[in-house]
Amino acid sequence: MAGQLTASLPAAGAAAPARAAEGQSVPWLLLAPATLALVVMFVLPIGYVLLLSITDPALSIAHYKRIFSVPLYTRVLFNTFTTSLTVTVACLLLGYPVAYVMTRRSDWVSTVLLMCVAVCFWTGFIVRTYAWLVILGNKGPVIGIHQALGLGPPPRLLFTTFSSTLGMVHILLPYMILALYSVMKKIDPNLLRAAASLGARPNASFREVFLPLSLPGVVNGGILVFTICLGFFITPILLGTPKDMMISQLINQQIEELLAWGFASAVAVVLLVATSVVLAVYNRFFGLDRLWG
Amino acid sequence: MAGDVTARTRRIGRRALLRSTAALAAAAALDRGVLGRPALAQARTVYVNTWGGSWTAAEDVAFFKPFTQETGVQVRTVAPVSFAKLKAQVQTGQYEWDVSGLGIVEYSQAVHEGLLEPVDLSVIDRKVVPEANIKSHGVSSVTLSTCLVYRKDKFPNGGPQSWADFWDVKKFPGARCLYDRSFTTLAFALLADGVAADKLYPLDLDRAFRKLDQIKPHIKVWWSQGAQSQQLIQDGEVDMIGMWNARAQELIDRGVPLEIVWNGAENYTSYRFVAKGSPRAKLGWQYLNFISDPRREAAFCSILPYGPTNPKAFDYISPEVAAKMPTRPDRLKVAHQPDAEWLAPRLAQIRERFAQWLAT
Repeated sequence: MAGQLTASLPAAGAAAPARAAEGQSVPWLLLAPATLALVVMFVLPIGYVLLLSITDPALSIAHYKRIFSVPLYTRVLFNTFTTSLTVTVACLLLGYPVAYVMTRRSDWVSTVLLMCVAVCFWTGFIVRTYAWLVILGNKGPVIGIHQALGLGPPPRLLFTTFSSTLGMVHILLPYMILALYSVMKKIDPNLLRAAASLGARPNASFREVFLPLSLPGVVNGGILVFTICLGFFITPILLGTPKDMMISQLINQQIEELLAWGFASAVAVVLLVATSVVLAVYNRFFGLDRLWG
Repeated sequence: MAGDVTARTRRIGRRALLRSTAALAAAAALDRGVLGRPALAQARTVYVNTWGGSWTAAEDVAFFKPFTQETGVQVRTVAPVSFAKLKAQVQTGQYEWDVSGLGIVEYSQAVHEGLLEPVDLSVIDRKVVPEANIKSHGVSSVTLSTCLVYRKDKFPNGGPQSWADFWDVKKFPGARCLYDRSFTTLAFALLADGVAADKLYPLDLDRAFRKLDQIKPHIKVWWSQGAQSQQLIQDGEVDMIGMWNARAQELIDRGVPLEIVWNGAENYTSYRFVAKGSPRAKLGWQYLNFISDPRREAAFCSILPYGPTNPKAFDYISPEVAAKMPTRPDRLKVAHQPDAEWLAPRLAQIRERFAQWLAT
């Protein structure tokens, strides 16, 4: 495989034979390393996964039939997408105000917030998941306060969809905040001052000026959190119920426990296609390029 | 606790998934025809795949150091144990390790997939290793038991003594937890339904799932990782649990008030093997022959409370230490073993049905 790749390189160089504009081959050459990296790191592995899904153990589409005939897989796939959507929206609602304050304040408040987010970001996600087991557990502070106040039998917090979602939001929130912050920081404060000098009240200048300019951050953060969340499964296993199962848990089981790489690949391909469809629909309505640009 | 978790948990989620994906990618990128086998090491080193943490530390004392001392062969370790990695190694012909061990069901799957070297009987000394411990492609190592464990402080007048008691939510009220491993939990359900321990296999799946339906609403959480099961029973999140004896013993030694019920336990024996095509296969078998000596087994099991599979090992183990072991002769009578030959070709379907039952 590697031999074919290197062999195709001179061919790519020869593919610009016209030399009508000598300068035109330079951009192509500059693109070559990036193209090569993309091919080796993304196109080939994904192509191999695609190939495995229809050839392992034999050439057939039986794996795909099984995915769509056994209710387990479509149900878990659906749950994976709805969970990721919930987590993304929650991260956005919680993260936007934090990023906003971090941007608008330039004193110690901003520094402390950034430190908190960074420390959270650098702490391992398994550690943070186990921390929730303690915080929400029978002997944890939440149940403790509830009992100290004499509010009756303790509520069921752990091993629910709520605790599972909470854990994932906590883990992914720093990604959202940092994505928002990086865009908000670039918004020129003079624009807000200009709006104010033209008579806009703070609410109006936020709505008309700041919010639209911060939308690329919302899109970046949203896509980042959504796609990372699609691949999550350890937090739902530890904090949630079996109904909160994510599709990557099934993929992992197939690879690690059953060595069914063909079937695991088929599930992965379905996940990839479904994700691409979601992103394509998103792009159709919101225009990713425009907002990124 | 957290460090312990990351070091010892078998499947640690994303990392495991990344590893699996990397294994797939490696299988894609490497072609054994193009890139031959690299000379990874000098001839006198054997690479052992191990769990890491306290498991590897015990192996170091009981196996690695004595082996190097006697033979001069160095032992290098690679952690953690990965079933998928075994397949990737054999497919690509790139060997990161030579020797590993898997539970009997995974071992049988690996035999079905053709991933293991046949036992080299010119190296394995049958005068030392009992015939019953040698399978076609592996030598038994230790036995880990999944047992009913309950909190003594919750049941001061005696807790559940069988799986039928575990299912009896009126007589023994409390939060329950079971192992998210299909065949283990299905066998427990059949035991609770009155099936004799020696009549469990082939599993009557319909009957087992009917019995599981009864207990499902009372299972607060299903565990899938050893550290998770420990945390749940230690913090009192659950009052009774089906968990590994070694993990429960570790908590008891730390002072957690737990009782291990040996009645109805599932004994899960590991088999050590050499990966098919390993360039250091001969050294691998020499290492396995060395550590199968009952004295070496006794040394390992005296550090970690797993059960030796060589009955002679008990000659070198004190009665106090033997009291922690699932393979003590009296306990073998009330325990069962999964029928791996029956399970291996059916596991994918059983797993799928179990996952679907859990998710609905």
